[in-house]
Amino acid sequence: MNQNMHQAGVKLLNALSRHADLVMQVYLSGTLDESKFSAKVIDSLIKQGILWRPENDADLRLKNAVRQLLEGSLQDERTRHIDANIGASLASLKTLAQHYKEALQHQRFAESQAHLSDLTEHVYGLTETLSNSVRVLFSRINNEFGYVSSIDAKIRENQLAQSQVSELLDQLEMFKFDELSNIAASHRELRHLLIVTLQHSFSRVTQELSVVQARLLSLLGRFRELRGRTRLLKGFLLHMEQSPDFQPVNYCGLSQVPMLFNQAPGIIAPASPDVKRIEHEAELQKLVSAIRAINRPQKNYQPDRAAHEIVIEEQSAVEFAEDSLKKAVEDYFCRIIDTGERLTALEYYQQQQLEFDPEAWLYQVIGGYQGLTTEEQSYFAIEPSGMPDPVFTGNFVITDVELGLR
Amino acid sequence: MISEQGRILEQLLSGAFICQVSDEDAWRFLKTSGNADKIEVQLNLLNRTLASAADGDVFYAAYQSLGDNERRVLSSQFQEISGHLVPLVEWLLLVQQASGTDIPITQGSAIRLTELQGTIEDTPAFAEQLAKISHYKLFGSTSVSTDGQIKQVFKRLTDLGYMLRPNQDKQIFIATGKVEYLYEVIKFIDETESLSLAQQAQSAVQQGSLI
Repeated sequence: MNQNMHQAGVKLLNALSRHADLVMQVYLSGTLDESKFSAKVIDSLIKQGILWRPENDADLRLKNAVRQLLEGSLQDERTRHIDANIGASLASLKTLAQHYKEALQHQRFAESQAHLSDLTEHVYGLTETLSNSVRVLFSRINNEFGYVSSIDAKIRENQLAQSQVSELLDQLEMFKFDELSNIAASHRELRHLLIVTLQHSFSRVTQELSVVQARLLSLLGRFRELRGRTRLLKGFLLHMEQSPDFQPVNYCGLSQVPMLFNQAPGIIAPASPDVKRIEHEAELQKLVSAIRAINRPQKNYQPDRAAHEIVIEEQSAVEFAEDSLKKAVEDYFCRIIDTGERLTALEYYQQQQLEFDPEAWLYQVIGGYQGLTTEEQSYFAIEPSGMPDPVFTGNFVITDVELGLR
Repeated sequence: MISEQGRILEQLLSGAFICQVSDEDAWRFLKTSGNADKIEVQLNLLNRTLASAADGDVFYAAYQSLGDNERRVLSSQFQEISGHLVPLVEWLLLVQQASGTDIPITQGSAIRLTELQGTIEDTPAFAEQLAKISHYKLFGSTSVSTDGQIKQVFKRLTDLGYMLRPNQDKQIFIATGKVEYLYEVIKFIDETESLSLAQQAQSAVQQGSLI
């Protein structure tokens, strides 16, 4: 028997894992799209009790047990189901405890163990259901019923949650610990399960539920306020549409102006700097240094810089007037060549009665010589005459230059 | 250094609205018992008093006693506020509808401009509505592109103190307490003029004729 159960269970779980895609698709969409999967697979899943058809012409759905398994493990927030059937669970707990005690009395230990493990399973199951219910409620509060969009729907959801909370609280009243402790009597295991574990979970759940209730009430208040505001706004617009020339009475003319409309305008103007305050010196200095002043003096009309008319005309040919001084030097050189005599520059200057500055003449003669090419220079010999400077050593003052042919 | 109290006094006197979004430190300071009294004494010197709106979400300076001059100022201010109501309400509803969450803008709501712009550009009805809103005198946009219009609207809202842009590099805006003040104003008008706006809206929804 046990072996058979094991095999059947493994088979079922295998089927679940093999068709995990299908199961999740049904879980998320609610019903199965039969055209997407083969009829054989669907048939086998129906046989194994994973899918079922609520009515003859209805779509296939997931069995509730499978759905609950998924909801519990995935902590799905969409779940709104709260199992509040605590009375039935408590009754079965009591029955099992009686079985256990009877088995012990008749010294059927193996049977008593089976009953005890069954009882343990039930107790833990009950505590899990309770904490699960609270968790579901909290998750709904925490996202403020985010799964519905309109405020009215949120208010309805809130009311549903509140009724579920009060139902849960009603059911929790069925916990009668004196009765349970009578049943448990002096059995250690029973006391642990029925009193310690259950009481622990009971007190935690009642505590949390009272928090949940308070939160739900405050949320409801908020939703109602939000709804009231929306209605107020819409009503105002509607009113303005229906009577466009509506103008509220000017309440400021009343003897008692409502505080809402008593609003004094600002009277504080920015302060001015006090340059004599020493402690502000650094700040002010910084401000001054940050000033970017660009001094652009106002320029008056400047006719010189004004735009002129540009006249384009042909450029006159430039003639280089031969410098007379240069010409005289050339003549002097030619004279030397012609006569072949040595002649100082100043003697020539006097002979020709030239009118240049004698110093400039001497410079020009020396310059003229230097200006010749090396080959031409070699025909001439130039001999400056003069004396060292009486004051500054290393300077030679030329008084005259003698030129001759080599 | 200027003390916290002095800083807040300065803010109040310059006509600022202090809320948790715009200046959390100052808001907490005013919320702490005793501090408001200290500020009050100093405000009284200048014929001002500390006023709060929207269940203490926003603080601002109000006149302590009203003479003719003060009344004149308040009257013109009221004209301005009541003139702003329609464009602002239309804008609030547009953002609420475009964001698709059905949750109205409240203090601290963050609006991502690029996301909002995307939705509005993709939906011609929203784009039309935005064009209408942005051409109100309050926003004064002359742009024909959605981009220009929405930027101008948000710029004006930031100038008016309804929105805050915490990071200049990012196009994220946060609604300040002044939005709460706006709701308060509408509520007040609703109650004083007994318009029963909420009922109007509800009955219109039931008739299926709303916007």
